[in-house]
Amino acid sequence: METPKEVEKRSHPNYVGVFIILGVLTLIEIGVTYLPLPRIPVLVPLAILKAALVALYYMHLKFDRRVFTALFAMGLIMGVGLLISLVIIFAPPALDLK
Amino acid sequence: MMNENITSPSGETPSMGVDNRKLGIWTLLGSEAVFFSALITTYLVNRDKSVVGPFPHEALDIPLTAFNTFVLICSSLTMVTALAAIQQGDQRGVRRWLIATAALGLVFLGGQATEFTMLANMGLSLGHNLFGATFFTLTGFHGTHVLVGVIWITYVIIRAYQGGVTKTNHLAVELAGLYWHFVDLVWIIIFTVVYLI
Repeated sequence: METPKEVEKRSHPNYVGVFIILGVLTLIEIGVTYLPLPRIPVLVPLAILKAALVALYYMHLKFDRRVFTALFAMGLIMGVGLLISLVIIFAPPALDLK
Repeated sequence: MMNENITSPSGETPSMGVDNRKLGIWTLLGSEAVFFSALITTYLVNRDKSVVGPFPHEALDIPLTAFNTFVLICSSLTMVTALAAIQQGDQRGVRRWLIATAALGLVFLGGQATEFTMLANMGLSLGHNLFGATFFTLTGFHGTHVLVGVIWITYVIIRAYQGGVTKTNHLAVELAGLYWHFVDLVWIIIFTVVYLI
């Protein structure tokens, strides 16, 4: 059984550590643009990872009540669903989906 | 579990066991996720469809925007540090870190104003082409959200100086922080989708 101090420590992640990871991921993203690498398969997962780190640790979703995750996830699902469906329907030429 | 101070202003216990104000903020953030998804989608599907320039690859300045992104990520760190400070009862710390967050927000807005000016000098505007319309709508709304966040944080700073933010009553800091982190999260997506891809 966790002591109160262990509970407090667990619910306070290493904010500076997360900041460093976010910074490194951003540098990697910028670096990718200067390299002959496919951008979408590399940059999109990196962006999603950064967003997840902010949501889970800075917004405390990982340690908080699940109802908050549910409320946020509902919006995300609707938004991402909208994005994916409209990009497929009206795909810009650069994506070459048609 | 976070100390959520779930007693409502009227003294009633909320039926879901969480503070209604926090529930309300997360509902807002869910709706904002749909809102920004719509703006990002509109930008994406119209990105290569402008008839006249300037076009994205010749107009957008990655180094300036990368600095702006770094500033906003720093501001998320200072915001969460402010919350951690007041959770320990550190009144000076919460004021200091909130001021740092608001200051970084203003630096970001300055960077956006600089970029908008550079783009305007290239002839880009809301009505000039599809790129201008979708880009300025998306980043303009995001910038407005940042401005609202700075004003909100300033209000919390004033409350902190008045003694209205304590170790047992700091929901104001937490809620402002949630909004601020969301604004940073949206920019993370915008930076990647608009500037890098």
